[in-house]
Amino acid sequence: MYLKRILVLGASMVALALVTTSCGSTGGPSSSASPKGTVTVASFNFSESIILAHIYGGALKNKGYTVNYRDKLGNREIVEPALENGQIDLYPGYAATDLNFVDKRQGVDLEAGTDAATNVQKLNARLSSKGIKALDASPAVDQNAFAVSKAAADQNHLVKLSDVSAVASGWTLGGPPECPQRPFCQQGLESVYGLHFKAFKALDAGGPLTYAAFKSGAINIGLVFSSDGGISANNLVVLEDDKHLQQADNIVPLIRTAVANSEVSALLNSIDAKLNTPDLTAMNKSADIDKQDPADLAATWLKNHGF
Amino acid sequence: MNFANQVLQWFLNGAHWQGDGGIPHRTLEHLAMSGASVLVAALIALPIGIGIGHFGRGGILAINISNIGRAVPSFAVLVIAVELFGIGARPAFIALVALAIPPMVTNSYIGMREVDADVREAARGMGMRDRAVLWRVELPIALPLIMAGIRTSAVNVVATATLAALVAWGGLGRFIVDGFGLQDYPMMFAGAIMVAILSLIVEFSMAGVQRLTTPAGLRPSKPVQKEEPLGTARDTAMVAA
Amino acid sequence: MLATGVVGAVEDPWIRWSWVSGHVDVITAALVQHIELTLIAVVIGLLIAVPLGLVAWRSRVFRGPIFSLTGILYTVPSLALFSALVPFTGFTILTAEIGLVSYTLLILIRNIVVGLNSVPDEVREAARGMGYRPLAELVRIDIPLAVPAIVAGLRIATVTTIGLVTVTALIGEGGLGSLIYDGLLRDFKTPLVVGTVLSVALAFVADLSLAGAQRLITPWSRTRATT
Repeated sequence: MYLKRILVLGASMVALALVTTSCGSTGGPSSSASPKGTVTVASFNFSESIILAHIYGGALKNKGYTVNYRDKLGNREIVEPALENGQIDLYPGYAATDLNFVDKRQGVDLEAGTDAATNVQKLNARLSSKGIKALDASPAVDQNAFAVSKAAADQNHLVKLSDVSAVASGWTLGGPPECPQRPFCQQGLESVYGLHFKAFKALDAGGPLTYAAFKSGAINIGLVFSSDGGISANNLVVLEDDKHLQQADNIVPLIRTAVANSEVSALLNSIDAKLNTPDLTAMNKSADIDKQDPADLAATWLKNHGF
Repeated sequence: MNFANQVLQWFLNGAHWQGDGGIPHRTLEHLAMSGASVLVAALIALPIGIGIGHFGRGGILAINISNIGRAVPSFAVLVIAVELFGIGARPAFIALVALAIPPMVTNSYIGMREVDADVREAARGMGMRDRAVLWRVELPIALPLIMAGIRTSAVNVVATATLAALVAWGGLGRFIVDGFGLQDYPMMFAGAIMVAILSLIVEFSMAGVQRLTTPAGLRPSKPVQKEEPLGTARDTAMVAA
Repeated sequence: MLATGVVGAVEDPWIRWSWVSGHVDVITAALVQHIELTLIAVVIGLLIAVPLGLVAWRSRVFRGPIFSLTGILYTVPSLALFSALVPFTGFTILTAEIGLVSYTLLILIRNIVVGLNSVPDEVREAARGMGYRPLAELVRIDIPLAVPAIVAGLRIATVTTIGLVTVTALIGEGGLGSLIYDGLLRDFKTPLVVGTVLSVALAFVADLSLAGAQRLITPWSRTRATT
């Protein structure tokens, strides 16, 4: 008799599991996939990337595609391989950094330069065999930048990155964990500028941990992004990249060729043409400082630009 | 077997044993932080648990604080600590102390309550005053459970200290988080192995200490057959975060 | 008191209700995912633990290895276990669930064994005397009497799992943990608070439901003192 009660209870637990699984798993109408197909869009784990992913995805959705998002999937080391093995279909890339990343992965010399179109061309050369296409680069740019506190800049008369050589040996650099191995990050600072820092502190990519580290004095110089909303809000100044370590990191969608039909490509290219850096910076600020939703900001942008 | 070889190579790389980012330094960092937080937590938790157990008031809180503590995700405690105190060692320490307190309060309370009322009576009958009853009768009998609580907290803390690497602290979790960021799987796996081994060492050493501090008269002569199941009032469970 | 938070002197209250009301769908999706991940882990954990528990109960030979292995799995910190699995099973639900299930095993198996052990010998002898065959005795006498202990273990396993699901945010899953993680990534207190509060609330609801369920199916234990 009690066994029956246990069985009933167990059955209801399993039923509950099944109900919740079917009810809310992806939050979207997975049962009604559109005839136009599904696109999985991923983003890196910072707001700008999420905004861009939702701009691309939102426009596709408005055209009738089913869009799945994998937001904050990780850094490039996670996202690019995911694109290569088909776990995702599309992500908003950055022309120079993605090119160098792919070069390194394929074991060839780094080729990124200061012309966005050339970078994209080379990206396509490297990725076509993987079934991936780089579409048109946008005029919108977000590249690595190095910032110091305003106080430190004033105290040490720092305007350009070269100026840092006077103090580098006693300073701590902060950045994401992959920074020591990235040519546009610590590796480049050493080879192009000859800056050898006393220590490196692994934080995040220009996010709250980096800003907190500045505030607490744990780092003297840190990686931020040129379109970041928090730079001036945190009394930081970006040092001029006088030796042009950073290359043309224009926004470019990286997409699986299988998904990139003419409608999709045309749509994403026209979005790219309309994106610009000031808009991006403003949206970043809204997301990171004013805590607005990246997806909402993307929706507003789409509406304002007729997508 | 190639992956196993890569992990082995990672361990054999001399550079990984040197400097602030090297294995010895990170291990010591991890142990020092864990030890300090357990110690401070004990200084807070034990008087509370023992006191409540001795005077017999507030038992419901003492028992349930462990359940409440278990219900709060350690990841959340860490992030909240960072929001309150910034990054680095301080929020890690505060979060770890907070996490270590509940099991010690509950276990020391239960340990004190389990002292047989007759034994207490006998002690009082012998003329012992309250403080003497506490120190010479109740505490020695409660000691095994008190130690069990400390042990649970210690293992919890070592585990959660791993997560603290996510908020820019150091410790062995650094290898896991950095390996993650670099997608350097051998580093990540090596970090995971080291953390696992450290946790097991702490678990077994504390078990040894627990056995050593159990008064001889209370040690079971053979393995306890009819133990209490976990989750009832007498909870000697270990909870890894 | 408004904390200034991590990023400069920007006002970020602990709960921004406008965010909450505007994100009910996101919050609900996170909650549902959290419940799913927990249920799958606990149900599978139970399915594995029951046979292993029976084996450990009956066989001295296997008891040691079963407890040792599940004990080791239990002691390994969650981030370490998930990261160790990622090179093999990727950033998937499978990785999350393998880890989550592993953490339930020790608690469940141990309580199953202890619960079965606590069945009084006289009861079993009486059952034998009444002609019960071993399987029937197991199913109709031993297991039902062990239910309080088993459910006690189930409660701990469930509450623990609910806490651990938050860590899976780091491997792309997360449930309510993704709200907490968002709070960390953006220095944004509201999702952090919402994720934490809901996680704790979920743990309490689960714990109380299981306690209530146990009372329903084992009315004889109502008079015995349990927590």
